[in-house]
Amino acid sequence: MSHRKNKAVGLAAFDRSRLTSAQYATHGSALRSSQASALETQLSVFRSLLQQFAATHAKDIKSNPTFRAQFARMCAAIGVDPLLASSGHGDSKGKGDSMWAQLLGRTVNDFYFELAVRVVEVCGETRGENGGLIEVGMVRERVVKGRVEGMGVQGVTEDDILRAVGTLKPLGSAYSVIKVGSKQYIRSVPKELNTDQSAVLEAAQVLGYVSVSMLMDNLRWTRARAQTALEDLVGEGMLWVDKQGIEWEYWSPGFMLEGDLPLDGFD
Amino acid sequence: MSTTSPAPSDSSTPNNSNPKTTTASTLLPNDTFPFPREFFFPPFFTRQTNLTTHHAQLTKWSSLLLAYCRHHRLFRLSLNPDALPFHNPRINRRLAPGDIRRVVDFLRRDGRAEYVLPLGQTKKDGAMTTTARGGGGEAGEGGEAFIYWRTPEEWGSLIEGWVEETGQRGSVLTVYELREGEGTRGTEIWGMDGDVLVKALGTVVKRGKAQIFQSGEDSLGVKFF
Repeated sequence: MSHRKNKAVGLAAFDRSRLTSAQYATHGSALRSSQASALETQLSVFRSLLQQFAATHAKDIKSNPTFRAQFARMCAAIGVDPLLASSGHGDSKGKGDSMWAQLLGRTVNDFYFELAVRVVEVCGETRGENGGLIEVGMVRERVVKGRVEGMGVQGVTEDDILRAVGTLKPLGSAYSVIKVGSKQYIRSVPKELNTDQSAVLEAAQVLGYVSVSMLMDNLRWTRARAQTALEDLVGEGMLWVDKQGIEWEYWSPGFMLEGDLPLDGFD
Repeated sequence: MSTTSPAPSDSSTPNNSNPKTTTASTLLPNDTFPFPREFFFPPFFTRQTNLTTHHAQLTKWSSLLLAYCRHHRLFRLSLNPDALPFHNPRINRRLAPGDIRRVVDFLRRDGRAEYVLPLGQTKKDGAMTTTARGGGGEAGEGGEAFIYWRTPEEWGSLIEGWVEETGQRGSVLTVYELREGEGTRGTEIWGMDGDVLVKALGTVVKRGKAQIFQSGEDSLGVKFF
């Protein structure tokens, strides 16, 4: 209602007030729509600024991982996932180009696409030795070594790797990111780990290897339970056995790749 | 290579900082070969029960042997489980004789290895046929295997190339000359294993580009066309 001080008296005042409330209503909606359009303008201005920014800094975005991560964060802050198709959120099958593509002409989009291809390659190359479960850091290391064309010497970050894996999702891929202990892994086989298996992998990740008695002592498992979890993981190719110690030791294949020794002995 | 990329907020790259001071080669002072990481991974020396894993393991062992022999320019490798590269004293692990055999067999399937027949079997002339002599089971434990970081075919072409370059087509060369003569000094041919050299020449003969003949009581000659 009107909070105005009412100078008018008499019947006419009712009309007057009716008039003003109608005026208010229209004014309100006018205001609302003008605000909306102003917001829209702001957004589109922002978008175009972002676009301009991206265009100006395309090279940096492409070659400088820190810069790229910050740009991605900036996009995220205004609710734009640059890798999602532009047509909207969720399930929309990408008929439009992604934000990256729109903003940068295809280059950065290609960057992630190429990266995704490399990630797939690395997962494929190493699947035999790790059963399709590989640390994100390890993938990064390998990708950097193989150096994707057009990427700066600075290489890529784990952030980039994860984003690249994200691009595979719309393809209905089996690739997913899972967390085991403190580390993120890319899983390239559609296999769910049960909690026991995760616990074993986590322990192996921390200690390098595990054994039946270690699991019994530390997790208070029965022998059978420890044995089962270990054998399952060996069966999945996710652990390697060393039978030359006092007790059989089960090693995470990730340990084979760690350190700074050269991987490629054959030249 | 291992540029520590400036990870923005949290340092997600763990131990990339330590310089290349402790490479494998310094850990095994008697060997200049830069051993790959898997060589320090204990299960690498135990045959893996999972077939896929085992295949990956064989592949890694194969490239290790090829790289090792290439590095040391070894033409034949002793299959001794107590010696490098089958034994890693640092982690006290060794590849069992049966597993060594599996690796060699794996390489043989690729034409990248061949068992060295025990003495007494035909050597010189027998070696001219390059077909793998099946079985190979006679080369008992601690036997030897030719490891072909270059296959006889590849060696053959290399030698043929050298003959071509030096304009010696049509002239007769002795195997001794090729291995130890002044002409090949400084080339890869010089100092080659005699058996491998003869096998290599055999492949050229097979292509009809050379002929081998007895040029003395105990020496072979070769003529390239």
